[in-house]
Order: sequence, then structure tokens, then C-alpha cells
Amino acid sequence: MRDERRARPDIAEMRGVTPLPRKSGEMVFHDDWERRAFAMAVSLAEQGLFEWSEFQERLIESVAAAERVDPQNPSRGYYESWLVSLERILEDKRLLSSSDS
Amino acid sequence: MSEQHDHDAPASPYHTSDRTFERNEKLAERVAIIESLLTKKGLVAKDALDRIVDMYENDIGPMNGAKVVARAWADPGYKARLLENATAAIAELGFGGLQGEHMVVVENTAKVHNVVVCTLCSCYPWPVLGLPPAWYKDAAYRSRVVIDPRSVLAEFGTMLDDDVEVRVWDSSAEIRYLVLPERPAGTEHLDEEALAALVERDAMIGVAKAKAP
Repeated sequence: MRDERRARPDIAEMRGVTPLPRKSGEMVFHDDWERRAFAMAVSLAEQGLFEWSEFQERLIESVAAAERVDPQNPSRGYYESWLVSLERILEDKRLLSSSDS
Repeated sequence: MSEQHDHDAPASPYHTSDRTFERNEKLAERVAIIESLLTKKGLVAKDALDRIVDMYENDIGPMNGAKVVARAWADPGYKARLLENATAAIAELGFGGLQGEHMVVVENTAKVHNVVVCTLCSCYPWPVLGLPPAWYKDAAYRSRVVIDPRSVLAEFGTMLDDDVEVRVWDSSAEIRYLVLPERPAGTEHLDEEALAALVERDAMIGVAKAKAP
């Protein structure tokens, strides 16, 4: 049972500047779009459309960019940076273009 | 989710207090557009996305902590490192992800029984124990285990002799405690995997003992 539905440690336990926001272990989502954006990135990685490390690289960049002016008061929240990273990798991998499928 | 409690609050990147309604609507729209396009291309499906959210919200279990305890029972060198610097020793087994908090492991012996609570909220070592049980967050447990730990433990079926000292540890944003239960008698022949199967969540919170083989 557990093996059929197991979170990937490379995603669930990301370290450094991109750990998933959690409060006592429970993931913190403020709005449903955050859940959808989270799950889309994970789903595409599960299907092998990109490596998780490729997504994480973009996430690190996005989080760093948001904290550049004032680290204590980032210009956007975690899942906003997540969304920016998702949009970037979709473009880089041409996953939204209609011609290549 | 909405109350921000600095005992356990995530760092500022996770706050959305400055996000206006309009900004949020725009973000939701961007996500909906992506989902719609990817759905049309057959790259995402609603069921799959729901399953992923559910899995990541719920699928971190106390098995990680059980492996830590079993290793400590089997390997005296590891146990020494665990009691000296639990965060590092737990990381040796590949478990981590706490955001700046330190782990402290407290050892149960024949004369000392440790039990963990978070009196202010529900601070909990989730990378090793998964999500806290409902009773751990309950106001009754949080207040009573401090005032009268023996009767709370008795309600969990854990009877202690009068000469056993009970120590109650209050977890916080800075320090998260994990109880190292006593190794049960008659387990000398067991390997780590079999030992780990004897260690349940409640034993690592300290409201129960490890199971007998």
C-alpha cells in the first residue's frame, strides 16, 4: 500500500532555499491554485518530461530573484516562485507548444 | 492554517499576507491556463493531480523514526552519535528537511521515562514521525501531560513503577524531541528491520513503550 503512493524524497525533502513550506509536517497551501501548480510540476516530473533537478534549479533561481532586494520581505511567495519556475520549464521544454506532439 | 504562530511559523517566503485579492486571482488564472493547456495535450489529469497533492500532504510516516531507533539499538556507536547530535545522526540515514530546527533524542531507561509535547501548538519532528496524531494537537493532551503525566500515560496503557522518573519535554520551533524507547527484552537475535517493526509512533513520542517481539 505505502509503496504504491510514496512521495519522492528528492521532492518531499528538498533542502537549501527550496524546501516545501510545511507547518509541523503538513504542507502549507494558502489557495487551491498553489496545490494545482505544485501537483502539475510533480506530475510532469513523474512522467519523465523533465528531471526534478531541472525544475529545482529554476525554483532556486526564482526564489533567489524574489529575495534579491529584501530577503526578509520577498517580492513574491514560495508558490508564486514555483509558478514562475513551472512556466519557465514548460517553455524551455516546449511542453505547451502544439506543433511538437 | 491561517493563524500564524511564531512558535511554529514558516519563514517569511511562505507568508502571503501582502498578496491582494486581485493578485491572487491573476495567479489562479495563470495556473488554470497552464492546467487547461496541459490537459488538452494529455500531459496532466485531474485525478493524477489530486492523488499527488494527497500523497505529499500525507505520506511521510513514522517508519523513518523507527529506523533511527532500530539503528541506535543495534549499533552503540550510532546511539552515541544520536544522543550527542541527533540532527546529524538522523541525517546519516538520509532523513532531514526540517527548516532550521534541531533534533534532540532523549533516552528511556529502566529509571527514566521521557514524553514529548508541544504545549503551545503542535511542533513535531515530522521528517522522522510523519504527521502528528490528532490527540497530540489537542489542548487536553498539551496541558495535562505537563501537570499529570502519569495519568495521561496510564490512559495510553503505559503503567510506570513509582520509582521511574517521568521527564516531559516541550518541543518548539528551535528544538524537536524524539524519544529513544528502551529496547524490549528478548530481541537480541533480531536484525534492524525486525527491530524497527517493534517501534511505533507512540513509543517515539513517549506515550507508549516499544512492542515486545
